[in-house]
Amino acid sequence: MNPVEVNALSKTFETKEGPLFRKVPRTVVAVDGISFSVPKGEIFGLLGPNGAGKTTTIKMLCTLITPTSGDAYVAGFSVAKEQQKVRANLGVMLTGERTLYWKLTGRENLEYFAALYHMESSYTRKRIEELLTLVGLKEREGTLVENYSTGMRIRLSFAKALLNEAPVLLFDEPTASLDPQSSHLIRDIIRALKKGGHAIILTTHNMEEADILSDRVAIIDHGKIVSLGPPSELKQKVKSSDVIEIEGRNFSDQTADALQSFSEVSKAAYSLAEAAGEKGLLRIHTEKGKEVLPKILEFLVRKQATITKVSFIEPTLEDVFIAETGRSLRD
Amino acid sequence: MRTTSGLRATFGALAAIFWKGIKHYTRYPGGFVIYLIMPFLFTILIFGMGQFVGGGNAASNFAARTGTTNIVVYEILGSAVWMTSWVVVEDVGVALRDEQMKGTLEQNFLAPVSRFTLLIGMSLTDIVITTVIFMIVVGATVAIVLPSGFLNIIQAFLTLLIGLVPLFGIGFLFAGFVVKFKEPYVFTQLINLIFATLTGTYYPVTFLPYWVQFMSGVLPQTYVIDDMRRIVLANQTLVSLYGSIFVLLSLALVYPVLGYAVFRYLEKKASVTGEFSKY
Repeated sequence: MNPVEVNALSKTFETKEGPLFRKVPRTVVAVDGISFSVPKGEIFGLLGPNGAGKTTTIKMLCTLITPTSGDAYVAGFSVAKEQQKVRANLGVMLTGERTLYWKLTGRENLEYFAALYHMESSYTRKRIEELLTLVGLKEREGTLVENYSTGMRIRLSFAKALLNEAPVLLFDEPTASLDPQSSHLIRDIIRALKKGGHAIILTTHNMEEADILSDRVAIIDHGKIVSLGPPSELKQKVKSSDVIEIEGRNFSDQTADALQSFSEVSKAAYSLAEAAGEKGLLRIHTEKGKEVLPKILEFLVRKQATITKVSFIEPTLEDVFIAETGRSLRD
Repeated sequence: MRTTSGLRATFGALAAIFWKGIKHYTRYPGGFVIYLIMPFLFTILIFGMGQFVGGGNAASNFAARTGTTNIVVYEILGSAVWMTSWVVVEDVGVALRDEQMKGTLEQNFLAPVSRFTLLIGMSLTDIVITTVIFMIVVGATVAIVLPSGFLNIIQAFLTLLIGLVPLFGIGFLFAGFVVKFKEPYVFTQLINLIFATLTGTYYPVTFLPYWVQFMSGVLPQTYVIDDMRRIVLANQTLVSLYGSIFVLLSLALVYPVLGYAVFRYLEKKASVTGEFSKY
């Protein structure tokens, strides 16, 4: 059995929405019958937009959420029935910097969690030394976490996930909010852990990160796996298309829908170029890039869009997602 | 990885949770200072009301109805027990919600430590905190106002220790409600005021309507307050109060079991609905 086996795992949330006394029951299918396995020494990427079901999947795997149906096995133990054993075999880093005690020092945080993992005290000391050095926090081990920078908190949270040397590691957006240098450090450590034989599940909405780190990627959307395989194989599927990326202003989802009605365009998707900017990005898949480009540009100019950059690009995992769903990962 | 198991593992986890709680108290000292001041403030409030509203016969009426002329010690004992129950309900009941809002609750629940150990660990911190509050508030007051009753404080404290066990059960119960339903301060503020009203914090419960006294009878604080007053003010001994000590011990069996069962039930419900990470 692989360290991680996921069999038809589903999660449905029953919620009530609306104003007080007029709440209407609503069913949300967060994860819809997904199956996959992760062998030893593999980095498995779960890629998808926000709300796709990545974090719910991770939380079911680490026993924080009870599955509605299906089951998953971590190190051979059922997440539905053997939760304590699952927890003992997992190292988990959940997203966000508020996963630590801010009024404790970096070292005190690790000591506290080591005790919750029932680690032997002499071994704990040695392990904490190693980890603080590994994530570059040795010199700040005695500082209260409230005085750490965001990057330092995330590195400490990452170190916490490695404390118990679990065979299975779950990292939920491990490099979100990190500067490039820290991201690089975390990625190097993840690669080293893979070499050490850990089975690693990584969730991210950063397609570059999924591409460079993962041995296999599951692209997840609306709770379903829409594509699964090594990044190179997934990208090969869209290799036959030209991918045109157009950056500019006055783009919208409607612009992408209109472009998709062109007979030469197989898929078109819109996203914001920057998280808090006016610039938009159109990504267009077509068999005849050079022939259709003038027609596309003419259409955009007629729609009073401002075009700042046009490029033909190599397909990425984002293009795999667009090809499968017709939407951008950055929606 | 080298791990411990069995009792050694449990004690290691308990010690870590205990020390984390103590470090938080020492690094957020405001809450502790408030717990120390509030019993005195409430006693002054009640004393003032008696003096200024009760009129010239207030003191004699008080003595006739309570059996003591020592208003300050009578009220401070009630206040100290109320504050103890306040600490337990806030710390055990609200602490989990507090951790939920900080984002650390999930981190605790990710570890292979049992939920029971987590709750007991938090309770251990409270035993120390409430002991310090009791010793300072009651010890200082009795030493100044009623030096002859000072030696009785040890027995009074033993009563409090027995009473803490069912109180932690009530704390577990609230911990479950809070994890599932959020809004901890609505629960705790309401319940703390109800406790003060029902348990004879500032007056004898015997003056309450009969049906209200029935509710007082199922709350451990009622017995702790009454026993402590009898020990400190009337020189009775723990042995002579065996009847109410027996009731307290019975409640010490019922509340923790009931509280933990409710906590586990609501915690499982929260795991189904994904409540742990919700604010």
